[in-house]
Amino acid sequence: MSENNKEKEVIISVKNVSKSFQGRKIIDNVSLDIYSSETFVIMGCSGSGKSTLLRLMTGVIQPDEGSVIIKGKDITEISDKALDEVRRSFGMLFQYSALLDSLTVEENVSLPLKEHTKLAEDIIRIIVKMKLSLVGLRGYEAYYPSQISGGMRKRVGLARAIAMDPAIVFYDEPTSGLDPVVGGVIDKLIKDLSAKLLITSVVVTHDMQSVFNIADRVAMIHKGKVIATGETDQIKNTTNPYVQQFINGKPNGPIDLFKEDIGIKEALDL
Amino acid sequence: MKVVREQKGDCTVCLIDGEINLNTSPDLRKAFEDYIRDNARKVAIDFSNVPYIDSSGLATLIELFQRLKKVNGKLRIYSVSEKVKNVFEVTKLHKLFEIYDDQETALEGF
Amino acid sequence: MNTISRIGAFIISVYQYVLGVLALFMDILYWIFIGPFKGKTARRENIFYQMVFVGLRSALIVFFVTFFTGIVLAMQSAYQLERMGATLYVASLVAVSLCRELGPVLTALVIAGRVGSAIAAELGTMKVSEQIEALELMAINPVRFLAVPRFFALFIMQPCLTVLGNISGIIGGLIVGVGSLGINKDLYIQTTFKYLELKDIYTGVVKSFVFAMIIALIGCYEGLNTKGGAEGVGKATTNSVVISFILIILADCVLTTIFYFSEM
Repeated sequence: MSENNKEKEVIISVKNVSKSFQGRKIIDNVSLDIYSSETFVIMGCSGSGKSTLLRLMTGVIQPDEGSVIIKGKDITEISDKALDEVRRSFGMLFQYSALLDSLTVEENVSLPLKEHTKLAEDIIRIIVKMKLSLVGLRGYEAYYPSQISGGMRKRVGLARAIAMDPAIVFYDEPTSGLDPVVGGVIDKLIKDLSAKLLITSVVVTHDMQSVFNIADRVAMIHKGKVIATGETDQIKNTTNPYVQQFINGKPNGPIDLFKEDIGIKEALDL
Repeated sequence: MKVVREQKGDCTVCLIDGEINLNTSPDLRKAFEDYIRDNARKVAIDFSNVPYIDSSGLATLIELFQRLKKVNGKLRIYSVSEKVKNVFEVTKLHKLFEIYDDQETALEGF
Repeated sequence: MNTISRIGAFIISVYQYVLGVLALFMDILYWIFIGPFKGKTARRENIFYQMVFVGLRSALIVFFVTFFTGIVLAMQSAYQLERMGATLYVASLVAVSLCRELGPVLTALVIAGRVGSAIAAELGTMKVSEQIEALELMAINPVRFLAVPRFFALFIMQPCLTVLGNISGIIGGLIVGVGSLGINKDLYIQTTFKYLELKDIYTGVVKSFVFAMIIALIGCYEGLNTKGGAEGVGKATTNSVVISFILIILADCVLTTIFYFSEM
């Protein structure tokens, strides 16, 4: 991985981005550079704004200030059509998978291919089989999302995210709600995808085990601000009290949940 | 992407030049369909000039593999670059396809 | 001051709602008329599926509602017409009032309750479970993918259901007329068509097109703008029915006025 990082080609650049909801500043002047084919983890408590940051990076919401540049294009300024063009080069795994209920597993994974390519049905069917076997799911093509377990849904979501061979994959809490084994499988997949297919991965998580498994670089967000960035080892050995408290999961420290109403909004905001 | 076909004895050699991606793989599929129509049994594909292959390219190869298998034919692939080999490995297709170093070894005993 | 500011806020929210619905309408029209020329349109199988859902599966309930309305209508009008010895005209009264008014409106109300609410609930659930966001991130326009097939299906099926409603209502009237009022069957049918003009039928059908648009637009708008989990879905569903009902009656009033003054 380190060889690839030496080139340091910036693929996503977040510049001085701020975003408020109902007068509360959720993201406060955040700047980040994410390099091509690295796995970049954004960690932080619930309510720290990390999911909002992910939404800003994917163009689902627009920042109040600042810009987000993906592959040289400022997605806060381009037209919807151009944004769709950029979006075809990235995939996203949602926290709750967000599979379409009305479609089978196979139809879910093949949806982007059917919508955006002119590939023959047979070829698409083979691609779907390949992607599903990549995430360890075979024989579930005809099932509906409601008929399979949460862990399976997540893996189908991952298969869908990589259906179009994206250059960038965003992961929103990829291991949350999964048993440790499936979590480990997902972690390994993320690692494989970026190491062998040179996919850039942007992961939002608070699962520390997962962070140290997969990350090349880590940024920690607290109250909408980036309070630390660095290579995984640097973060591990940092003296920053916030980061230390977070990594070790200590209830007492500079991050004080009881003074602030952090957490409740993120938890209710679906 | 360009596809050139060469006949070496009873073996069809396919030389691919360029990326195999969403836009080019349908052309490759057409070329493969010609091979099947001409009753080719042994197909060897030269990957030396393929810098990149995506899932649609892999699916096209798999389809050819399946069609050849139906008629007891064989598929061999050679001169695969490191980057493309990685793609095969991630998708575990290196276990399915016979991959050789160069044309000579690929055609030996084919 | 408090009341005034509340009224002001209400007017603003109505205004924003209307703007939102109109924007959705424009979006849908774009994907129906301009999208296909840019190689992007709703998928045929989606439209077909929705047509089956809207049309076939609503046929029975539309039939029952209008059939019994026809029966009631025949009996109520017979009660009045008997005194004048004009029982025979029950036939034309039932036919005209059904085709011009009750057929389109009752069908629309049934469909708003059955299909409009289902659209709002389905799209609302998709919204709160991030499925709409997922579509957007796959560069698939949710309006094209979800709203257009539903709009299209309603637009085609609503007039068909209305005609079905007209016919079943007339049959209901016929049963009363022949069975309990003792009118000769052939005479009843003859009287039905003697006073039923073509314009009576097509004004009703024109209404049904407008009602279809209302049901589809409100259902889709409520669904796509759902906020806040399961409760939000419930709210969107209720809203879609209530607002559709009001708008259907309002549109009916406006259209009837137009037809009346243009002597149609």
